[in-house]
Amino acid sequence: MILKAWDKSMNFAEEKPLKSLIKIRPRKSAKIIRIAGGKNARLILGQLGIGVGSEVKVLRNAPFAGPILLENSGTSVAIGRGIAAKIIVEEI
Amino acid sequence: MKIGLIGQPNAGKSTLFNSVAGYKSATSNLPGTTVNYTKSKVRINGDVFEIIDFPGTYSLSATNDAEAEVRNYLIESHFDLIIDVIDASQMGRSLPLTLELMELNFPLIVVLNMFDEAQRKGIEIDTGKLSEILGIPVQTTIASKNIGVKELFLTAKSLIKKQHPGKAKKILCQRDVEEVIEELEQYLNRNYTRKTDYPSRFLAIKLLEDDDYFLKIVSSGNGVKISKKVAELQKKMVKLRGKPQDSVLAMERHAIAMDIYDQVVKIGSPRRDWREKLDNIVMHKVFGYLILVSVLVAFFYIIFVLGSFVEDFLLSGFDILDAWLASQMNPSGFVFQFVKSFIWGISGGIAIVLPYLIPFLIGLTILEDIGYLPRVAYLMDAFMHRIGLHGTSIIPAVLGYGCNVPAVMATRILTSRRDKIISAVISSMIPCSARSIVIFGLVAHYLGPMWAFAIYVLNIFVIALTGKILSALMPEVSPGMVMEVPSYRLPSYTVVKKKTWFRIKEFVVVAWPILIIISRSIN
Repeated sequence: MILKAWDKSMNFAEEKPLKSLIKIRPRKSAKIIRIAGGKNARLILGQLGIGVGSEVKVLRNAPFAGPILLENSGTSVAIGRGIAAKIIVEEI
Repeated sequence: MKIGLIGQPNAGKSTLFNSVAGYKSATSNLPGTTVNYTKSKVRINGDVFEIIDFPGTYSLSATNDAEAEVRNYLIESHFDLIIDVIDASQMGRSLPLTLELMELNFPLIVVLNMFDEAQRKGIEIDTGKLSEILGIPVQTTIASKNIGVKELFLTAKSLIKKQHPGKAKKILCQRDVEEVIEELEQYLNRNYTRKTDYPSRFLAIKLLEDDDYFLKIVSSGNGVKISKKVAELQKKMVKLRGKPQDSVLAMERHAIAMDIYDQVVKIGSPRRDWREKLDNIVMHKVFGYLILVSVLVAFFYIIFVLGSFVEDFLLSGFDILDAWLASQMNPSGFVFQFVKSFIWGISGGIAIVLPYLIPFLIGLTILEDIGYLPRVAYLMDAFMHRIGLHGTSIIPAVLGYGCNVPAVMATRILTSRRDKIISAVISSMIPCSARSIVIFGLVAHYLGPMWAFAIYVLNIFVIALTGKILSALMPEVSPGMVMEVPSYRLPSYTVVKKKTWFRIKEFVVVAWPILIIISRSIN
């Protein structure tokens, strides 16, 4: 028990682990570190103001491996799971 | 005076256009309603303006053919003025396009539309300050209620007549990136000798963004030399920012936009109402689907009940008229037969078609204008994957229930060519309102509403199968859904009325005369 808590606090002190956007739970925010998709995917996301460095909030996850609903500077954007999996983020 | 209306999808360009030009351009609460340019000459305070309503575009970096088309038309057709229509409640996201438009050196007005919606969200915008920062006039409108539209065109006129000192300021990026842009701009000024419609700074930015279209133009003009320089500077930029070259400048614009946003916007407490809470149910993982099914069942059921009631009532009226005519004339005579078939043609339209068509179109308009369709796309994404498409493809399909032509045109909101082809095929198989009338008027009338419903269910199976076969034939992977989900809007009575008429008109002026002539000749 103590060991676990210690382990957790150690993790916290270190750099936060990078994960895919689909791993972020609803109502949590994350900062985008990298977008591993192709150029077109980056452009389409960029048009909606979503890019490396953006802070987004996950609003909800659709069931049956459906899309993820994000909030980014006041706009709701639905992103399919395929693209979302390629967005690498850091939870904040 | 030639004016272009440009702006991001769902900002209300067409609503603004319609409020001055009469209902000519389709509007709805989903991104990408306008698929082609609508032109109109309008007279405001005695001046004639030629106004062109553009399809919505998020930026001038084209991600698909339609956007490339918009950009080229915009740049090449020399407008006297561009009106940049912005959804005031989404200003932060909309300003990057404004920044791009400013690079084009056209006279420009920024319009903050849907100003009431922004106020409702507690967003207070200092328009004077925004105008000062950008160096161009900023106007506010509520186009759906026709507020501020007249003032807008007065400003437009004074700007065109050069009575207004509206010159877009040069808004610079951060120093390091700005130096790269300037270096390329100067290089282009020296080495790119071809005459071009594009300002050199705009061209430099697009080249640095790795825009295929401009790279092709430039390299076909001056060969390898410029391409090399562009590649070199792109590398420099990637090193500066640690981002891929195609997103450095887009994110730079976004950062500038957010900076301006912070300077001019005060966010108070939003008036929370049903809109915010509604999505918790409508997009819920269980209730969402229950609502979706109930909405569709209720939609068709109400149309059937309402339609058949009115149909029976009107048909009995025509029967009485028939009987009366038979008593007045010789029933086997030519005149009676002629008049009777003529009446059948008319009664077919009035009593059988319109009672179903009118509630159907009103219902579809309301669903569109509230903003329900993007939610349907969200809910259906996972299912659409089963047939090799993604959620966005459901929007053209649903529009197909109204008419298949706009449905096929609406496939422009999809990003890949493959998705467009499959969706276009599928959309054309949806029973449009004219086909629905046959289903309602004949199947439901003679066999009962459950059979009519069964036809729709069968149709969905046929479509799913077709989709599956087509996507097996085109196994390319599509990039997936990236779609803005707009806030709910209450549909305005006048817009619903005008839009329904806009759609019925086609039936009345095209299909109905054919119906009358055919029923006449069959007899």
